[in-house]
Amino acid sequence: MRLRWMKTARETGPQTSAFEGLALPLLPSLYNVAFWLSRNATDAEDLVQETFLKALRGFASFEPGSNFKAWIFRILRNSYLTSRSGLAARSTVFLEDELNESGESGPSRLPEATIDRQTPETNLLQMADRAALQAAMETLPPPLLEVILLCDVEEMKYREIAFTLEIPMGTVMSRIARGRAALRSALEAQPSLSRGGRA
Amino acid sequence: MTGHLSHATLSALADGELSPDRQVSANQHLAACPSCTSEALRQCLLKSATAKAGQRYALPPQLQDRLMRLASEENSKSSSARLFVDPVSPSRLFGSLGWAFAALLLLFAVSIVLVQRAAQKAEVASVENAALVTEAFDQHVATLAGNMPLQVVSTDRHTVKPWFQGKIPFSFNLPQNLPSDTTLDGANLTYLRGQPVAQLLYSIGKHRVSVFLGQKPGLEQMNELLAERAGFHVMWFNTNDLKAIAISDVDPARLTELVNAIQHSQTQLK
Repeated sequence: MRLRWMKTARETGPQTSAFEGLALPLLPSLYNVAFWLSRNATDAEDLVQETFLKALRGFASFEPGSNFKAWIFRILRNSYLTSRSGLAARSTVFLEDELNESGESGPSRLPEATIDRQTPETNLLQMADRAALQAAMETLPPPLLEVILLCDVEEMKYREIAFTLEIPMGTVMSRIARGRAALRSALEAQPSLSRGGRA
Repeated sequence: MTGHLSHATLSALADGELSPDRQVSANQHLAACPSCTSEALRQCLLKSATAKAGQRYALPPQLQDRLMRLASEENSKSSSARLFVDPVSPSRLFGSLGWAFAALLLLFAVSIVLVQRAAQKAEVASVENAALVTEAFDQHVATLAGNMPLQVVSTDRHTVKPWFQGKIPFSFNLPQNLPSDTTLDGANLTYLRGQPVAQLLYSIGKHRVSVFLGQKPGLEQMNELLAERAGFHVMWFNTNDLKAIAISDVDPARLTELVNAIQHSQTQLK
C-alpha cells in the first residue's frame, strides 16, 4: 500500500508537462494576438517566446483551477507594453483613452440620420468582406484592438478581459463599444465600399 | 437624449454580457424600437465577422518547436533543484518508526516546497520590478529623445496639478519651494503597468528629471530605494497613498533634494 502523497509525488511528474499541457494549445491564439498588436512576425515571435518563458518560470504562482488563458494573456499583454512596438504605440494610445473613457455609459449613439444612410445590404457587404474588416482592424489603436481581439476572436468574457488587461469592467465595456464603433467608421470610410464598388 | 440603447449596452447584448434585469429591459426596448433592433443585429454581425477576420496569423511551426525545446531546457535546468521524495520501499518506510519518519518527511517536503514557491514568487516579483523600471526608464528617455511636446507645459504648479483633474483617479501636491536651480517644466499623463500615472518633468540645471506618481496598488513591486540604469539614477519613494519613481542623470544628491521636496509636499495639504 502506498500513501496518496507518495503516489502524487512520483506520478505527477515535472511541472513543465502540466504547463505545456495548458500553454501549447494556446500558442496559436497568443501568436495571432501578438502579431496583431506588434504588426510584424519577428516582434510577434519574440513576444510569444518571452511570454512563454515568463509563464513557465512563474507557473508556480499560477493557482490551479483558475483561468490559465486569462493569466497567460495577461503576461503577453504586459510583455507587449514593455516591448519596442508597445512603447512606440503608447503615445497615441493614451490620449484617446483620456478623451473618451466613459465607463458604463459608453459613447453616445450615432445620429439616426447617419445610421439610416446605411442599408442592411451595405452593412452585410462591409462586414462580410474579410479583407476590408482586417484593414479596418489595422486602423484601431492598440487599446481598442486588444479588447476586440480578446472579446470577439478569443471569446473571453468581460471579467476575463478585465483581469487580462488590468482594467475595470466598465472600461472593458466602454472600449469594446468604442472599438466596434471605430470599426464601423473605418469600414464606412473605405472607398471601394462607400462608393458601392463591391456591390 | 434619444432613449435608445447605448453602444455599450448593444455591445454587451451582442456579447451576452448583460445582467438578467438589463437583458429583460433591453429586450422590451428592442421589441418596440426598430432602430435599436437593427443596430443590435449589426453589432452581432460585426462581432461574428470580426471573430473570423481576426483569425489571421498562423503560428509558425518552427516557433512551436523552439518553445518546446526551451521548455525542455528549462525543465532540465531546474530538475536538479526540484524536490520530490525518492521512492522508498514501503517495508522500510513503515517499519517500527515508519509513520513518524513519514510525517517528518512530509513536513520537510512541504516546507521545502513552500520555500521554493516563495523563491519563485520573489523571482516573478523581481522580473515585474525590473519591467516597471524598464517602462519608466523608457518613458523618460522617450520624453527626452522625441520631439513630442509635453501634454501640459507650465512652470506653475497651480496649472500643472489641476490639469490632471478627471484624468487620474488620485491627486497629489507639487512643492511650492523647489531646490535651487530646479524648475517645473510640465507634465504628461502616461501609464505604467497599465495604471495611469502622472509624469512630472523637472529641470535641475540642464539635467531633466521625470517623476512618475501613481497609486500604490499598481506600483507595489518596489523594494529598493536607489538604482542605476544605463547611467541614469532611479529613485523610489512613498507618500501616504502614492508611490513614485524619479529618474534622471543628475547627481543623486540633487535628485534626492527634489524627491524630498515632492515627498514633503504630499503631507502638507492632506
